[in-house]
Amino acid sequence: MQKVIETLLIGLSTGSIYALMSLALVLVWRSTRVINFAQAGQAMFATYIGFEISSRSGLFWLGLLFAIVGGALIGAGVDYFFMRVLFKHANSGPAAVVAPVIATLGLLGIIRSFVGLTWGGEFKSIEAPASTDGYTIGDTTIPFSPLNALIIVTVSIILIALAILFQRTNLGLALRASAYAPEIAQLAGIRTARTRTIGWAIAGGVGGVAGMLVTSYNFLTPYSLDLLLVFGFIAAVIGGLESMVGAVIGALVLGIGLTFILNYVGTSLVFIGGFSVLLLVLLLKPDGIMAKGKGRRA
Amino acid sequence: MIGKTRRKRTWFVAAVLAAGSLFATALPANAETGVSSSEIKLGITLPLTGAASPGYNKIGNAMNAYFKYVNDNGGVYGRKITLVQKNDEYSPQLSIAKTNELILKDKVFALVGPLGTANFTAVHKSVGIARRGVPSLFLNTGFSGFSSKKSYPTSFMILPSYAMEAKIVAQFLKENFAGKKLGLVYQNDEFGIDGLGAFRAAGTKFDVTVPYTSGTQSAATAQTWVSQLAAGGVQVVVFFGVTSATAPLLGVAAAAKYAPQWILGSVGADPLTLRALGVPLAVLNGALTMAGNPSPNDTSDEYVKQFQEINTKYNTGTAFDDYVLQGMNIGLMTVQALRAAGKNLTRKGLVRAMESKGSTFASVAYSPLGYSKTSNVGHTGYYMAVMDATGDRKPFGGSVTLYTTDSGSGPVVKSTFKRPAMPAKGLPTNS
Amino acid sequence: MESWRKARVAVRKKILFFILLGWVLLIIGDRVDELRVYQGAQIAMYTIALASIVLLTGYSGQVSLGNGAMMAVGGYSAALTLNNLQTPIWFAFLMAILVSSLFGSLLGAAAARLSGPYLAGTTLALAVGLPAIANQFSFLGGEPGLLFDVGFPPDRFGEEFTQYKWFFWIASVIALLSLFITSNILQSRFGRTWRAIRGNSLAAELAGIHASRMKVLAFTISSALAGLAGAVLAMTISLVAPGAYTLTLSFALVTGAVLAGISSLPGVVLGGLILVAIPEIADALAGNFGDADKLNNYLPGLITSVLLILSVIYTPNGPGENLRKHLHKKSAH
Repeated sequence: MQKVIETLLIGLSTGSIYALMSLALVLVWRSTRVINFAQAGQAMFATYIGFEISSRSGLFWLGLLFAIVGGALIGAGVDYFFMRVLFKHANSGPAAVVAPVIATLGLLGIIRSFVGLTWGGEFKSIEAPASTDGYTIGDTTIPFSPLNALIIVTVSIILIALAILFQRTNLGLALRASAYAPEIAQLAGIRTARTRTIGWAIAGGVGGVAGMLVTSYNFLTPYSLDLLLVFGFIAAVIGGLESMVGAVIGALVLGIGLTFILNYVGTSLVFIGGFSVLLLVLLLKPDGIMAKGKGRRA
Repeated sequence: MIGKTRRKRTWFVAAVLAAGSLFATALPANAETGVSSSEIKLGITLPLTGAASPGYNKIGNAMNAYFKYVNDNGGVYGRKITLVQKNDEYSPQLSIAKTNELILKDKVFALVGPLGTANFTAVHKSVGIARRGVPSLFLNTGFSGFSSKKSYPTSFMILPSYAMEAKIVAQFLKENFAGKKLGLVYQNDEFGIDGLGAFRAAGTKFDVTVPYTSGTQSAATAQTWVSQLAAGGVQVVVFFGVTSATAPLLGVAAAAKYAPQWILGSVGADPLTLRALGVPLAVLNGALTMAGNPSPNDTSDEYVKQFQEINTKYNTGTAFDDYVLQGMNIGLMTVQALRAAGKNLTRKGLVRAMESKGSTFASVAYSPLGYSKTSNVGHTGYYMAVMDATGDRKPFGGSVTLYTTDSGSGPVVKSTFKRPAMPAKGLPTNS
Repeated sequence: MESWRKARVAVRKKILFFILLGWVLLIIGDRVDELRVYQGAQIAMYTIALASIVLLTGYSGQVSLGNGAMMAVGGYSAALTLNNLQTPIWFAFLMAILVSSLFGSLLGAAAARLSGPYLAGTTLALAVGLPAIANQFSFLGGEPGLLFDVGFPPDRFGEEFTQYKWFFWIASVIALLSLFITSNILQSRFGRTWRAIRGNSLAAELAGIHASRMKVLAFTISSALAGLAGAVLAMTISLVAPGAYTLTLSFALVTGAVLAGISSLPGVVLGGLILVAIPEIADALAGNFGDADKLNNYLPGLITSVLLILSVIYTPNGPGENLRKHLHKKSAH
């Protein structure tokens, strides 16, 4: 019984980091209809910035702040300088389906190479803001630590903040309108292009948080966030790319599911476990868990 | 119709392009590959980046530093040594690709210090090392399979085999930890299984064994290892894995307040690297480890002192640790081997020189070398060391008690072997 | 009737063309050094793998990021067959084709209802997950993998005939055969049907095409090709291991396909060339700059990515498309 609870708690902690990534991916998808593989690159770049600041200042939270800002800036930059150019050129022929995917992959490669050339590939680590010693209940120590709890709390705060932004502010309304019906939004006076860039910036900032949190207990290399991207993507697909709530639910489901597989079956089957979860969900609901019938098609 | 013609034309153009590119390199005739009147080209594959790279990625540069020192002092009979390093990220498939490049493109004379058990096994077969007669000296792996002259006619080990190491550890466990609950964490490939087999042959009973797959080591997976060990009440944990797996194991154990007696295998135990990976000093204090060399901080040792000087001058910016020591030592051995092969340098000659003279070479490690016409075995023994509160390594029991054995069923004996003195100024003069 | 005769003549011309290609490759194989021959084998392997993407994504419009996983299936099937059943080499390759088509058809059936990003996500998960399975089951060899030894060339070819040349021969023959067959499939009714589905699957259905069945067929054939390529890859490195079929491979394949024209089968040769050439170029460039290891690690990635982005922006359908547009403009005058 104890193992079940342990697994559940760790899964929650892992899943909440995936939630940030999948949220960022869904944000970008809804506003641009593009799966942004470069999200991992943006988050990685932001995390390296956060690493520099936090290792110099000794303050994790300062580093986190810079990571958010850095992530937001690079997110906006990618949309402004890159995506707009892309859509102008590549919108016909059989490659239109594939082009944005490939382009963001290419962008990921460029960011990664740049980071690698600047910082090198050695393992770097960030001092965790909370202890990684597991909580002791009585005389047993469970693997769930204050750091895990902090992660869950941080992610929850961000999710609540985003929810407020989207549901209660004018900006949030503009974001949703630009994603759902850009022509009508423009007619209503919303500057869709600029709003979209803001959406990318938010996604970038969120990705930066994800990167910093995951690096607080793992090493940082130019490849360390790739897995986060893959799982974030799977989580987003599970939840149905159309809904942000779905992205979070999908991520938690995935995080908990994978941790169970890790603890009860074995490390090598974790990835194929992810694949199975995904396939299972999509077989039953091809548009993800939260799909509302025929909304907006790809 | 037009589409078909254009398509055919595209095919043709594509084929001509392919043909042309293949044509682009002619094949000049060569004397002995990789040797000219002024240069000897050597190659190495090792993990410069990736999961297994921490620590090991320093070895190549350390070797290079030593070679530069020798080059500045006349080289080997006037020839300068060039070392080509290729990053294989510890992946056997990449090792194959990079070794192909070394042999076919860079045209190196010999391989020195290629790292990794699975890596070299794959390379030897796929690239055809034996068939091509390429000498591969001082393999940076302890897999006992490599000691077979029949299967690996042109390859030579330097590290004691994992089987030897396991036998010595087994002996040590019997002498010092009889009756305790034992646990083993090992890398689940030929590297770890080599050790496991020797433990079994020596009769060591582990209460808990935890295999891990190379590449999956992380804080998360280490969690599962520690859970199993703690659940089994293990009091002494033996570890046969790479440094980037030692780190999460020790870190997670500390966080879970699980503090058994650690016995770390020689491969993954450099204190400096472990600390760089975040393992606190308090955890390392008291950990036991098998060692073959003196501590890299022991400046009273003539080899260490000389290597440190060379490191400061030729490898500035890199702290001197176990890996740098290992790299420089491989360099020292390599130069002695090249000299022993004579001025008329050929691949066959190098192999013969290793077989006939290799066992007399000077090396920083304490144990005797086993090279002969029938054996590829390098060093043959270890001593037990303990890490202290400063992160340094001292011999267990105060002074070095050297144990030697073989990879088979031979006994583990205390040895009184005295290693050869370091050549003056670290520059070999053998022939 | 007239069109039948024309078709037969066209096929005969194509056969002659491929035979000619084969002769050219044979002669080249004799003239170049071992490194180039080895690279030639790799190019041949890539052309087969890229052909699978052209068929799946270029023609039937299904975006798959998991062709690397299918290659792994083929490679492992071939190795297991060869090692455990001691069959001749061609049988091992045949098994690679059969097993991966089976997997492909299953995957296709599961994926038939998925579109765009959902399909991409699923295949991505497969690409990451499948190779790792090798670590779970010991008969799959774990991380170090299984040996795949196709043996040495027959003695009558002489001493000079190296094993890499033998790989080149085998790989080229297989590549030529596969490309010939694939070309015929793509130019047939099947190819046209797939393009119809890609264009507008609703309209295709109204015209009587059974879209999901055709999609599954595309997956099956594409996986057969990928599996074959995987077996050829295994042959060239004498090894099947999870590290040979990484996510990076899947991405590299999609890259190569886009660079060479995602719906152009002749382009796969160019794509294969590019994929083999990039590490070479990066190596050469890095060598000039000195600090070798850092540059060496990241320069190939940088070059590939930049090339990729440029080509996606300016020639999203491959250089062939731009050529066609250009010539169209000319003829319009």
